[in-house]
Amino acid sequence: MSPTLPPELARPARAKPEFVSTQSLPATRPPVLSSWARLRRFAVTALVLALIWAVLTNGRLDAWIFGIPAVLAGAAIGLMLPDSARWRMSPQGAVVFAIWFAVQSVRGAVDVAGRAFAPKMPLRPGFRRYPLRFPPGAPRVMFVNTISLLPGTLSAEIAGEELIVHMLDTRADLASELSALEARIAALFVLHSLEGDRG
Amino acid sequence: MLELVAASLIGLGAVFFIAGTVGLLRFPDIFCRLHALTKADGLGLALVALGVALLSGSMGDAFRIGLIWFFVAVASATCSHLIARYARASGEAVSDD
Repeated sequence: MSPTLPPELARPARAKPEFVSTQSLPATRPPVLSSWARLRRFAVTALVLALIWAVLTNGRLDAWIFGIPAVLAGAAIGLMLPDSARWRMSPQGAVVFAIWFAVQSVRGAVDVAGRAFAPKMPLRPGFRRYPLRFPPGAPRVMFVNTISLLPGTLSAEIAGEELIVHMLDTRADLASELSALEARIAALFVLHSLEGDRG
Repeated sequence: MLELVAASLIGLGAVFFIAGTVGLLRFPDIFCRLHALTKADGLGLALVALGVALLSGSMGDAFRIGLIWFFVAVASATCSHLIARYARASGEAVSDD
């Protein structure tokens, strides 16, 4: 199954970010958290960190001597991080994306390994710009990081609303590869276009 | 049988690590080298981790290995972006044609 962009998104490249989450508008300057929200975030972070610690130490009780301070410190640091726009992931979307991601990282690694071993080293490196269409937040981070694992592309810098991509071979079709990735990430995070409903 | 599959995965993972290192040595500039490290070494680690997890024989160990793979994968994508951004900002020599 290959997701395609909804018709209202299929338009020429180079435009402002246009995906919005169904829960909230992109928060470039997030609101200050209320004390209840801060407590909730502290508790959730601490719980996740505690679970990871328990797994890492095989549930050993004496390891909590280090674990409890580390979990509390980690949760406290989590409070200092800027709040990001809320996001949600679709479970079946996550499975589909994970499988696709695994296939792509194999493709990317085989491609770069082939170039490294080839006696003539087929490289035509260079930078290309691509307009970012996700607002700041989890989907954008996912997009930028995933690009580095696709064959021949590496996200080098975010310049305003544009992403600067380094390519091993600039003859490759960057725009179609990246807009396919955009559609997949939009499906993963249950994002709709601006024209869609805002829930 | 399990050992054979695990050994093949680990061996294949080593091939990708070697590819990453060859790329690091042969590629012309820092940006191309980052491609080699993030992609080839990333898959190399995934294959070695999968092989070792098969051999570990315990769910706890397999989960820990999976966790290590996940954190390394996230960190390597982020680090390569940061290195590339710094290299651009500091005017690192670029092979461009």
